[in-house]
Amino acid sequence: MSESFQRSAGRKVMSRSSAKELGAVSHLLVDAQQRQIAAVVIGRGKKAQLVEWAQLSGFGPDAVMVVDEGALRPPADDRERAAAEGRLELVGKRALSERGNELGKLDDVTFDADTGALEDLLIGDRRVHAGSLLGSGSYAAVLDESQEPSP
Amino acid sequence: MRLLMTASQIRGLPVVTVQGGEDVAEVRDVIYSPEAGRLVGVTLNKRGFLAGRSREVLPAEAIHAVGQHAVMVLDESSLAAPEDAPDDVAHPAMERNVLGDDVLTEGGASLGKVADLVLLVGSSGEVVGYQIDKAGGGRGYIPLPAQLSVSGVALVVPNITEEFVQDDLVGLGAAVDEFRARLGLP
Repeated sequence: MSESFQRSAGRKVMSRSSAKELGAVSHLLVDAQQRQIAAVVIGRGKKAQLVEWAQLSGFGPDAVMVVDEGALRPPADDRERAAAEGRLELVGKRALSERGNELGKLDDVTFDADTGALEDLLIGDRRVHAGSLLGSGSYAAVLDESQEPSP
Repeated sequence: MRLLMTASQIRGLPVVTVQGGEDVAEVRDVIYSPEAGRLVGVTLNKRGFLAGRSREVLPAEAIHAVGQHAVMVLDESSLAAPEDAPDDVAHPAMERNVLGDDVLTEGGASLGKVADLVLLVGSSGEVVGYQIDKAGGGRGYIPLPAQLSVSGVALVVPNITEEFVQDDLVGLGAAVDEFRARLGLP
């Protein structure tokens, strides 16, 4: 089933083992090279925690289910800390071609809720296959040159 | 039709990594080789709160592409410390500066003085023309590769260059290919 970053923001996160509410989705951390969601960020700022995609029992329409609350952990490296601070959020990020030209703003990203694989990037009225994504960071999401507008 | 930009439009652009999506530096100035007709590299400023001159430089070989909104590099390792960079990037020679040089045709007519470099957008720093202050006044753009010799005072271009003086970058973008074809260049 297809999900989107916009729709899943704020979705509650529940523990499968205890049925307790653990918080809400604030960001999704992406592995751009694998075109895959690497982790879900729960909460914001200093209290933000991460859960890796593999530790989810389901990314459902009403709740994100974590196998066990023990799977939650604080950010472990610079990239995860940047994600926890929201600096890597893809939605709203400028999209840049690898040729150095701006393509617009990323309005949303869709993904497969079963696998976490990215599907499409929505840039204005364009829908770009996630296979074009080369990298993403705090400044920009970089797309391959096939997305370059012809002069 | 080619998309072009001037060297002064490159100054201040962020240097962004393709793989990381991070802005790792900002272009301070371009280093140009008139003999090669291309950039040999760019000098850098730091980004953000630490703004100021960076020790590191970006050799042209490490430039993935020069775009309208960013200079792209593969990753942060593309930035080189001066001791690791080619000598002409680490210590650019001052006579390399063609700005202010008189543009003379082989026939001896002055077209004007070089005001800026014109680069191919999306390339790794190919210089395809010059912006000139025309001898008769006003701005103009001439295509390259055209110069036959360059001295630091003047550069000499083929006579046909005079027919290709353009009023703007769009005109030059359209003229570059025809100019090269006329000269039998690739």
